[in-house]
Amino acid sequence: MSRAPGAVVRRQRPLPSIVAITALFAVAASLAVPGFTTGPNLTNVGQQTAILLMLSMPMTLVIMSEGLDLSAGALLSLCGVVLAKLLVAGSGLPLALLASVAVGFAFGIFNGVLVSVLTLPPFVVTLGTLGIAQGAALVVTDGNAVTGIGPAAASFYALAPLAIPISLVIALAMWAITHVLLYHTRFGNGVFAIGGNRDALVLAGAPAHRYHIGVYAIMGAVVGITALLLVGRMNSGHPTVAIGMEFDAIAAVVLGGTAFERGDGRLYGTVFGVATIGIVRNALNLLGIESSMQVVSIGVLVLLVILLDSWRKEKGRAAP
Amino acid sequence: MPPSANAAAHPTASAQPLLELRGVSKTFPGVRALDDVSMQIFPGEVHMLLGENGAGKSSLIKVLYGAYSADSGEIVCEGRPVEIREPADARRLGIAVIFQEFSLVPFLDIAQNIYLGREPRRALTRLVDRARMHADAREKLAALELDYDTRTLASDLGIAQQQMVEIAKALSQDARILVMDEPTASISDREADALFRVIGRLRAAGVAIVYISHRMKEVFALGDRITVLRDGRRVASMGARETTPDALIGMMVGRTVGTVYERQRFPAVGDVALEVRRLTTGTGVKGVDLVVRSGEIVGLSGLVGAGRTEVARAVFGADPVTGGEVRIFGEHVRGGPERAARHGVGLIPENRKQEGLALLRSVRDNLLAASLWRLFPSGWFRAPVARRKAKEMIDALRIATPDADRRVRMLSGGNQQKIVIGKWLAAGCRLFIFDEPTRGIDVGAKSEVFALMEALMEKGAAVLLISSELTEIVHVCDRAYVMREGRIAGELPRDELSEQKILRLAMHGESKAEPA
Repeated sequence: MSRAPGAVVRRQRPLPSIVAITALFAVAASLAVPGFTTGPNLTNVGQQTAILLMLSMPMTLVIMSEGLDLSAGALLSLCGVVLAKLLVAGSGLPLALLASVAVGFAFGIFNGVLVSVLTLPPFVVTLGTLGIAQGAALVVTDGNAVTGIGPAAASFYALAPLAIPISLVIALAMWAITHVLLYHTRFGNGVFAIGGNRDALVLAGAPAHRYHIGVYAIMGAVVGITALLLVGRMNSGHPTVAIGMEFDAIAAVVLGGTAFERGDGRLYGTVFGVATIGIVRNALNLLGIESSMQVVSIGVLVLLVILLDSWRKEKGRAAP
Repeated sequence: MPPSANAAAHPTASAQPLLELRGVSKTFPGVRALDDVSMQIFPGEVHMLLGENGAGKSSLIKVLYGAYSADSGEIVCEGRPVEIREPADARRLGIAVIFQEFSLVPFLDIAQNIYLGREPRRALTRLVDRARMHADAREKLAALELDYDTRTLASDLGIAQQQMVEIAKALSQDARILVMDEPTASISDREADALFRVIGRLRAAGVAIVYISHRMKEVFALGDRITVLRDGRRVASMGARETTPDALIGMMVGRTVGTVYERQRFPAVGDVALEVRRLTTGTGVKGVDLVVRSGEIVGLSGLVGAGRTEVARAVFGADPVTGGEVRIFGEHVRGGPERAARHGVGLIPENRKQEGLALLRSVRDNLLAASLWRLFPSGWFRAPVARRKAKEMIDALRIATPDADRRVRMLSGGNQQKIVIGKWLAAGCRLFIFDEPTRGIDVGAKSEVFALMEALMEKGAAVLLISSELTEIVHVCDRAYVMREGRIAGELPRDELSEQKILRLAMHGESKAEPA
């Protein structure tokens, strides 16, 4: 080796456990669950996980910034209802989508300002906005589904360029955009810094508040876009349909190996987390296991993976 | 103003100062951090900044990079008055700081850390130009004679490596004024030599360097001029050739910390209360030996970061002991704080609001926090017993509180300190470790704390006093140990206790580094 004494050689980071787990579950499902590997079912899995993938991408940024967004599910319901209401009122799809994104963005900015500028704990802030968004969705609709929204949303959702469902296309594009944002922009380094050492960012003269608020604003805006997929899928707006979706998104991020501290995370881990949740839910569906049991199994899975990750980390620290 | 004769020793004496502080003051509630400090920094000079703990060096740096803004006085850059309100202002003026507390982001790599907030971007896409960023980072590290893979995450770096990246980060800003806060405190000689060569090149290129150090060898090897601070004031500025280590130490000591407490009594010394043998910890304590006897106040002195608090925490069981042993009243003690407390050791921590008190709980709850197991052996809380015991402690310590139900947060610093002491007294402790007990309390309360310390000692308790205030150590202690870099640098008996001797041990060990 030509390295001088005292040289620092990069240590390869071990793959997150979720990569192996996803592979394991995929193999297990294709062997043990009848009908899992058929073409239509796999398309179905893709379509079902698209919304989760959408939400999990900005959620990764939020959690990497030592934050949390509990309001994402309720906000998704609210945005969906707003979008559906506007369609009922006869506005075109682009305008309805714009309104949905605007509502999501506004909530995101609100969350971000409270967290970054007023330095309130994200858990408490987004618990509050969860209540506001959920309440608003119920007030706007009197608690009823918004139907009669016309064919625009549903026919958009039915698009399938190159035989790939449009929802999956959009979600994969979301992954690409988030990847570029996180790994190829100053903002992305700022996200790592907000979670890892916010003072360093401030000392570097970087606009820390703008980045920090930006993380939550992106989360909100993406929720606004996701509302279109949700409304298109259901062909209606429903004020409580997305309750708990923030749970799945947070679970996917945590499964992917992102820590709640120090800005430690990798975006592709989240994608594997999403895939695992998608596979588990679909397989349990095919096996006829009801939805509430699916939530239980995802909860158990999250705990097992966290245990596995922390055990591997301990071992990694002891080894060298 | 500094006498111009001093400036004559400087090669660029005729030049205008690059940066000048004029009468800068900064006050915090109860503390005058900087008091009318004036200082001139010339291009191409290494300006050493010296002072005891708390002399105002850190505050001065913070004013320079915009973490604090001065209450009064002005900062003049190349003849023009400037305002430094935030770090970005300092950066615009070409001021860069090598921090002692590291400002690295753990899960960004070396290059990303060096260029954080200033990442080179491609013109068209505005995306970070990673290839250029890594190439530039490698170049900066090469200048420091370092062979680091710039893709390494900061979380994978050791302390010395982090310090070197921190240095590269400051150098990469092409600053005209470079401030270094004890840059060699955690790196090896080889790395320090590389740093010194870089400093030589920067000086030749006209960069002004403000350098804080506690190592006399560096002060004289690197420094062109020296400014000494004490109590937030500038004591003197002079050319490095016009002074000696002893003269500098003479200027640093002699702090005025209000009325100095005078120790009243020196009772006969009893049995060994605390015996520490070859104590070593993961927190930086390296083979420390010390003994404290009943009826004795023993000082543990040294500069901030020398390992004093770490010794206290290890004795108390708050940090694991990796080598050596701790004997309390003859018994070998292992395990956590609970074990130590049952053996009769009480720790009055440096950071009393976080580690010593539950601020939102009552005076009574705090006083009884360490003795619940004694008062209520059955596990059931009995209010009358608690009231009686709390009243007893409030009276004994003369704690000024309207009643025992008052939240501790509402009380003054001095009374809070008494409650921490009372907590251990109630638990029947006989060995007290005081870690900076007078920090942030007023002069009257200071005297009371020391009077209390004496009263404890008279009743046969043993006291280990950790203090950065050299006058306290000198006036209160029977004898004192001085720590430096995790080790005991020396022990001073009562008749040899002086601020000069303590500081000499704290800064360069025995007197071997002194020039003839």
